[in-house]
Amino acid sequence: MESSTHQPSESSTRVPGEPESRLDSSPDSTNSNNGRVSWFQKLTIEQRILAGFSLVFVGILVITAVSYHNTSIVLTNSRLDGRSHDLLQLLSTIDVAMNEAEDAHRRYLVTGEASYLESYKKVVQQKPTFATYLRELARGSMEQEQRARVLERMMEKQLNAESKAIDQFDEGGFRAVKKMAIEGAGRRELGAIHQLIIDMDSDERLAMNRRIADSAEGTKNTIVLLGLGAFLQLVLLAWVYYLIRHDITERRRVAEELQRRGELLEAANKELEAFSYSVSHDLRAPLRHIDGYAALLRKSVEQSLNEKGARYLQTISDAAKQMGQLIDDLLVFSRMGRQEMLHTTVNLEQLINHVLADLRLDLQGREISWTIAPLPEVTGDPAMLRQVFVNLLTNAIKFTGTRPKASIEIGVERPTSAEVVIFVRDNGVGFDMEYASKLFGVFQRLHRADEFEGTGIGLANVRRIVHRHGGRTWAEGAPDIGATFFIALPTRSHEP
Amino acid sequence: MNAAKPIILAEDNPRDAELALAAMEEEHISDKVVLCHDGAEVLDYLYCRGQFKSRLKGNPAVIFLDLKMPKVNGLEVLRTIKADINLRPIPVVMLTSSREERDLAESYALGANAYVVKPVEFHKFLSAVKELGTFWGVINEPPPEGLRSAQPHS
Repeated sequence: MESSTHQPSESSTRVPGEPESRLDSSPDSTNSNNGRVSWFQKLTIEQRILAGFSLVFVGILVITAVSYHNTSIVLTNSRLDGRSHDLLQLLSTIDVAMNEAEDAHRRYLVTGEASYLESYKKVVQQKPTFATYLRELARGSMEQEQRARVLERMMEKQLNAESKAIDQFDEGGFRAVKKMAIEGAGRRELGAIHQLIIDMDSDERLAMNRRIADSAEGTKNTIVLLGLGAFLQLVLLAWVYYLIRHDITERRRVAEELQRRGELLEAANKELEAFSYSVSHDLRAPLRHIDGYAALLRKSVEQSLNEKGARYLQTISDAAKQMGQLIDDLLVFSRMGRQEMLHTTVNLEQLINHVLADLRLDLQGREISWTIAPLPEVTGDPAMLRQVFVNLLTNAIKFTGTRPKASIEIGVERPTSAEVVIFVRDNGVGFDMEYASKLFGVFQRLHRADEFEGTGIGLANVRRIVHRHGGRTWAEGAPDIGATFFIALPTRSHEP
Repeated sequence: MNAAKPIILAEDNPRDAELALAAMEEEHISDKVVLCHDGAEVLDYLYCRGQFKSRLKGNPAVIFLDLKMPKVNGLEVLRTIKADINLRPIPVVMLTSSREERDLAESYALGANAYVVKPVEFHKFLSAVKELGTFWGVINEPPPEGLRSAQPHS
């Protein structure tokens, strides 16, 4: 597209988006909040929506992770609770069994009944199983493990003492074990075992209570987090919804505005057409009358007309003719802006040859050395591009008129993939670069009317046509040395 | 020759009419010219009504028609003429200030026989009107009256 900064002849260089650049400079001030706002305002709507959704996503991730963590703690605690219950059960079973062993062996020692011995032996048989379970269930807490080991040892000791007493009884009868039978062989150990079991029991219950409190706390946290998270997500989603809705509303508004402006523009165009129609019809008539009646006047007073009077009459008709020319030029210029454009391949070399053939009359009696480089094919409207070169070449011929030997060059400059730059260079009267920006304006002339004729519409037409092709125009020159006019046409077809 | 047949000049602007008549005068054909000041007068003439009720019967040699006229404009007159089987053969020359493509296209589409843009410069205007008057009013052979029988269609 057109970029004004690349055109030396374009005087006005507009800085696009100036209000934004003003916002950018505000972080310089001490107010850091302002800086944050401008940072946020610089984000496009897409970036804002993406940021919103990212925040929602991150929130969901955090909530999920924390909930998972809390829930797994609760699950672990409940599994541990099961084990604690088993341990408590086992401890009471052991307590009962060890009491049973002490009682049974004493009864056996006193009565010698085999059934008591059986009861005792049953406990002895159960003891390894107890030990295995005990070790298993006490795992996880150092203290309990320690106690379990001591408990196991004590059970071993008690049972050993009792079985020694039974052996002595079998060898020496009641007398040999009388004292033990009354007191009990493992009484001391049994007391220790009892105490140990009480300790372990209370410890385990404490741990259980602690875990229950733990789980309750975790569950409460999870619920709070879920509630808070849901609320935050809701707020975020509402914000994103607002952004999207706002954006959609804005877009719809812009579309409507565009359509409205399009309609206005169409109406304005129609009006302009009607205007130029009436200009073409109504403005020309009085001019014709001025010229006509001046001629009739000249005819009717021919005999008595002196030289001064003749000159006055001549000036009247010259002025009328000039104004007619101006109107015609203006109409052409207006038509160039409205006319439908063709998009075909134009062979510039052929086009220039035709233009030069048409300009033959202007070239009579002139000595001009032509330099014409091989020219490329471009895409555009042949009639309009023809007008461009007619204007440029007519200018070159006109402004070299004072040169005894004119030289005009048509060439191509730095062909890029994006555009073709064609120039027309002459060694004519040239112009001051100071006025370069005025060259392409409507009715802008850099020379006095009596120096070079013309209405000053030619280059305005050149610019209008080239712009409609999506191209650029500019000029370089120096007074009394010459001028070069450049037109850049995009290589790809431009749809206006 | 069609010395007897009049030339219709439809021109609402009296100055333009005067200038045109001045040109015709130089060619000595101004006495053949019937001046109509708007489109309605042209139609009145052609259909022998209003001020032209009692005129001699017969179609004119040519009609010089301005586009922009009060009451009935040039294009409307042209449309009426070309739609009427009796009037259709009359040569109609558009003589106007407008160079607009739209006007050109529409005039020819309606069946105009020629389209002449009035030049601003008087001497060009003069020669244009002289040539037109001489060609259509003197040189050109107008269609015979009662052409209806010769029309293959309708």
